[in-house]
Amino acid sequence: MFFHMVLERNMQLHPRYFGPHLHEKLTTKLVKDVEGTCSGKHGFVVAVTKVESIGKGLIREGTGFVTFPVKYQCVVFRPFRGEILEAVVTLVNKMGFFAEAGPVNIFVSNHLIPDDMEFQSGDIPNYTTSDGSVKIQKDSEVRLKIIGVRVDAAEIFCIGTIKDDFLGRN
Amino acid sequence: MSAEEEENAAELKIGEEFLKAKCLMNCEVSLILDKKYEQLQNMSDDPLSQTSQVFEKSLQYVKRFSRYKNSETVKQVREVLSRNRLAEFELCVLGNLCPETVEEAIAMVPTIKSKGRFQDDDAIDKMLRDLSLIKKFE
Repeated sequence: MFFHMVLERNMQLHPRYFGPHLHEKLTTKLVKDVEGTCSGKHGFVVAVTKVESIGKGLIREGTGFVTFPVKYQCVVFRPFRGEILEAVVTLVNKMGFFAEAGPVNIFVSNHLIPDDMEFQSGDIPNYTTSDGSVKIQKDSEVRLKIIGVRVDAAEIFCIGTIKDDFLGRN
Repeated sequence: MSAEEEENAAELKIGEEFLKAKCLMNCEVSLILDKKYEQLQNMSDDPLSQTSQVFEKSLQYVKRFSRYKNSETVKQVREVLSRNRLAEFELCVLGNLCPETVEEAIAMVPTIKSKGRFQDDDAIDKMLRDLSLIKKFE
């Protein structure tokens, strides 16, 4: 799920930038440092939308660097256990399939794929129902439920299921 | 670690910070990211070099899974859904998945049944029909 949040960060700036464009420099540095990163708490920071405030700078003892507390608004993507969302299938094999929802990868194990769907190997590996009416393959759009979320250094990884009602291919 | 174990969106247990935060539907994110991309295009010749993979993947995703395309319609959708006392998270899941029947809506957002916000299933049905009307006339 995407959220619009206000986050805070302490930014360090080298004295060479103490001049008329200090705030601009801080903003550029903030965007470069923060956009595209991921944390377990807030998920992926997709885009900074606005810098709300830049507080008073504090000179660090021993170095000339100054630390500024910066408050900014941003769009984040944070998946939750129990959340139902749509994703695009990226890889299918006999263990299950991988799907992508925005920046997050989700794995659906074959144990969590309905029993009436079977794995078919070949040029385009897929899961198909016995009557052939529903087929899940690379680039298919599926609706799945997240049942586990794991945070790994700078990435979030999920496992999901399509075994419940109203899940699977549209 | 234990906090993550307790998390469960199906029961709206997503943490104080996220419950209070503004949730965005895919169509709303699409409008925001489009605007940002335009700003980048105006500022440099190669906007793609300024964007992270997270940004690009998110932009592709919301474009593919936006049910409503123009900003007027998106505003209407939020307005229709806001008439019922829904939490931000519930509102956005409904706006993203556009369930067609009451049964589907309850499967997608189990918490709409709890907490007695809808008098009966007809009230949920009315909300879903209002939603699908907007799509028809987009």
